Amino acid sequence: MGVEGGEVRRAPIFFIAVILIMLVMSIAAFILAITVYLTQNTVEYMNIILSASAILLSIYLLLQMRRRTLGPSLEPLKVLTVIRCVGCNYESRREFERGDYILKEIGQCPKCNGTLYIHSIFREVKEKEKTY
Amino acid sequence: MFTETLLVSIQQPSASQDYMGWIFQVIWILAFIIVWIYGQRIQTTLMLKEIEGSLSKLKAMRDRSRQITISAIKEIGKPNEDPTARIDRLLEHVDIEPVSLDPTGIIRRLEHIIDVREFRFKDEVRQMAPQADETQINNLTNVLEAALALNQIYKIVRHYYLMGKKTLSFYIILQIQMLLPLIMRESEAFANAIKAFTLGQPIGDGAGALVAARLMHGREKRLISKDTIVSEVDIDGRKAYVIKAVGPGGNVGKPGEAIRQILEEKEGRVALIIIIDAAQKLEGERPGEVVEGVGVAIGGPGVDKYKVEEVAAKYRVPLSAILIREGIEDVVSTMRKEIVDGVEEAIARIRRLIRENTKEGDTVIIAGVGNTIGIAQ
Repeated sequence: MGVEGGEVRRAPIFFIAVILIMLVMSIAAFILAITVYLTQNTVEYMNIILSASAILLSIYLLLQMRRRTLGPSLEPLKVLTVIRCVGCNYESRREFERGDYILKEIGQCPKCNGTLYIHSIFREVKEKEKTY
Repeated sequence: MFTETLLVSIQQPSASQDYMGWIFQVIWILAFIIVWIYGQRIQTTLMLKEIEGSLSKLKAMRDRSRQITISAIKEIGKPNEDPTARIDRLLEHVDIEPVSLDPTGIIRRLEHIIDVREFRFKDEVRQMAPQADETQINNLTNVLEAALALNQIYKIVRHYYLMGKKTLSFYIILQIQMLLPLIMRESEAFANAIKAFTLGQPIGDGAGALVAARLMHGREKRLISKDTIVSEVDIDGRKAYVIKAVGPGGNVGKPGEAIRQILEEKEGRVALIIIIDAAQKLEGERPGEVVEGVGVAIGGPGVDKYKVEEVAAKYRVPLSAILIREGIEDVVSTMRKEIVDGVEEAIARIRRLIRENTKEGDTVIIAGVGNTIGIAQ
């Protein structure tokens, strides 16, 4: 079984071949219709519409058949740790380190010697501005 | 051959065009007949292809999460023997829900099953990772839970895929194909969660716990129920009992039991109960958006929610809910900046709710619900 064995079957060759033949023939029909227009100055609407739609259909089917990316889309996250002082308004940021947790005390404030603690840990996500 | 015909047709348009035209007519008629007869079969094949692609992705996620779980247990727990076989056994773990034919006492029975499951999982992790401390055991249990969820999702999707392939039933394939985008989003969230759990980073679900942690920071705390602490905080002249699960290990505690105990201790003399939790946002809503409502904002299987509803109704105590909205992919992933901002807004709303709905000297209960991984108190 393809899925159980870890290998995924590719799109059936027969289907791909049929779609490719359909694509080639529809392109040929489209070229032919254009040639007729150039040589005889008559527009074969039906041929143009049919061949153009066949080209679009075969491209769509080929895109559907295309093998998808198999790896999970797990992008590395940039996680920040915000450090604040209990006594003053001192704040600093650094990348998250293993062992960090919110409200962990991590030393003394360089400004007022107060206790420094981890105020928050978060990742920043860039999202497109929405207008609706 | 075909090219030659085409060239001839271009050079001698009138002679060959009729011939080509006939061929295309026949091809189109054949194509229509094929689509007419085999249309659904072609659509089924395309849908199966789509499911197959997603299934491979799910398999990769499942395998990777299993691998991360094994490495994390080896790295943190320093086991004496290889934990792989034990992890594989746990990944196949099943929970059997209590019988609902006679619903009397189902909550108590469900709670018992949940408690046993939690104990079993932690105990297994403790045996696999003898060098891990309590916080790490909780985090590793969360890692295992996420890997288990991914394994279950993969197996269910595979079941429908193979069933659809075997029967070629359009409707079996259609139902899984329609749900696939949601399933994939949830699976990717679990896959991201594994990393957050391994490193002990706070997750989106911990928004409520973070609110409680901010309120009780620097105050005295006591254990009130299993893995749950309470702290007495003065807010604008009112006595607030702030409840959260014990952090920074991955815990949800028993907020329902804690609220019940406080209400029973105070014999119902509580002016307001405020529960803060993360809630799933609708598409288009901003992550970290804070909304208010009434009722018990506690997710999960419903045991804690039931307990609070019961005791609040018994003493007729008003229930307020503050929800911090987030997407399904944020619930178990590392907390987003917007959610941290939402936490600050939720605290301001709690203060406003208390000022508007209670008098000085009153007692209120504030419960921050959610997984407290990466959040101390």
